[in-house]
Amino acid sequence: MMLRIATIVCLLTWATNSSGQVVVIAHKSVPLDTIKKSALLDLYTCDIKKWSDGQPVIVFDLKSPSEVKTAFYNYLGKSSSRMKSVWLKKLLSGEGEPPEAMNSEEELLGKVAATAGAIGFVSKAYVRKNVKLLLEINAEKKQE
Amino acid sequence: MSRFNTFISFLLLSIAGSDSFAQREDTPLRVFGYFQNSLQHWTVFEKHPAQNSFGLQQLNLFFQKDFYRNWTAFVNFEALNSFSSSRRWGALNLEEAWVKYNPNMKFNLKLGLQIPIFNNLNAVKNRTPVLPYIIRPLVYETSFGEFIPLEAFVPARAFVQAYGFLPAGEAKFDYAVYLGNSPNINADPKNGQTGVDTTTAFLAGGRLGIRYRELKLGLSATHEKSNGFIGLADTLGRQPAELQELPLTRLGGDLSYNLANFSFESEFIMVDVHDGIPEIEFALDFYYAMLGYHFTNELFGYGSYWVTDAHAAVLIPGDGEIKDEDLRVSTMGIAYDLNDRIRLKGQFARVRDYDKIKFVSQNLLEKQQDKFNVWAIAVSVFF
Repeated sequence: MMLRIATIVCLLTWATNSSGQVVVIAHKSVPLDTIKKSALLDLYTCDIKKWSDGQPVIVFDLKSPSEVKTAFYNYLGKSSSRMKSVWLKKLLSGEGEPPEAMNSEEELLGKVAATAGAIGFVSKAYVRKNVKLLLEINAEKKQE
Repeated sequence: MSRFNTFISFLLLSIAGSDSFAQREDTPLRVFGYFQNSLQHWTVFEKHPAQNSFGLQQLNLFFQKDFYRNWTAFVNFEALNSFSSSRRWGALNLEEAWVKYNPNMKFNLKLGLQIPIFNNLNAVKNRTPVLPYIIRPLVYETSFGEFIPLEAFVPARAFVQAYGFLPAGEAKFDYAVYLGNSPNINADPKNGQTGVDTTTAFLAGGRLGIRYRELKLGLSATHEKSNGFIGLADTLGRQPAELQELPLTRLGGDLSYNLANFSFESEFIMVDVHDGIPEIEFALDFYYAMLGYHFTNELFGYGSYWVTDAHAAVLIPGDGEIKDEDLRVSTMGIAYDLNDRIRLKGQFARVRDYDKIKFVSQNLLEKQQDKFNVWAIAVSVFF
């Protein structure tokens, strides 16, 4: 019984830690190895729509509220309602489109890995070698 | 002139030679839009009894097509005030039809009928799902266009516009410059083609602004020439030519800031005719400020105050009249996002209208004051 409780506690601790670490990932074709917060914000607010090599930026988001999503937008300094308002304004002005929102982190990871010019965010635990890791948000925060 | 022609030729050749013409990977035509239905209660004002009315305040239908890489075409039809041609209600307008060349965000070139950038709200004044208001700050309230000369306050249309931003660290410097028709548009088929500018004057304008984190501020200006005063020639004993193409300028400023859950927006607009004719005075001023609070991600509440001052005078020794109309509106409201597509809104507006007319010959000052309130609820739907 004690062993079972200890195992559950360990799993919960691991899950909490891994979900707290958010990473920004990109398709292998993206001509960047790291990204700054201001550049990330420019991409997510549709201010920048092309990478330096000219390929279009494809931005992905998570559909439902989650710790990862909250942590990511907190890092950008924008609430999700503010982001929605920015995207709607851009869309209705013919200036850009909201990011495509995925149902899960696995789905988002798969989309980023399969779409040239794509960028997104997931928990660090999900990262695979088929995408580029541009930024670890907690690590970046410590640097600032 | 030849230098100008060379520049235009170079510009056109540069665009034509870009890779945008090399391939044709068009995206499908996208059709989307929004509408806002409202229920409004107006208390008694002037000679109007109190009224309760449902209405389709506005419906906009967009067609957008992104051509390969750098080109976008966009068309915007707008129906106002429960539009019905058979019943002669409301209005249907082609508001925008433009094509945009967008090599990067530092430079965009928009060609065709468009709403120019002026202050914070002008370019998005008609995007009701984005705005928390049911009744927008007055000079932007398109559905009042039948009885308020909105186009005197803000530029309604341009035909060529270059805009973008220049990054400098975390700051961004926004710019926009545009050209359009002067307000001297022929509306009478007896005088030839309608919808065309009857003068050689253009509307020229622009905005310079800065964005830094959650702060956004800018200055806007336009210059145009108006024939709207020619009708006063007989009264003033002047030749019509003296009242032709009088220079009209607009100066605007905007400031918006978000701090934690608070949002603040404000603007001023000053319109003046610099006619060099001492008998005519004409000036319009508009100010608004809005302070809002995001209670949750879905619920936004705000309070706002709008001031519209209009001053018009025809000064003839021993005759003439001076008219001042001040409209003050304090308003509060809420907007609730039911989901990503549907926004519910509620608003209360307290309107105070102060009119003063001075009849010079009789040395008589006539004052009028009108007070009324508006309650409104609305649903704004994006589809």
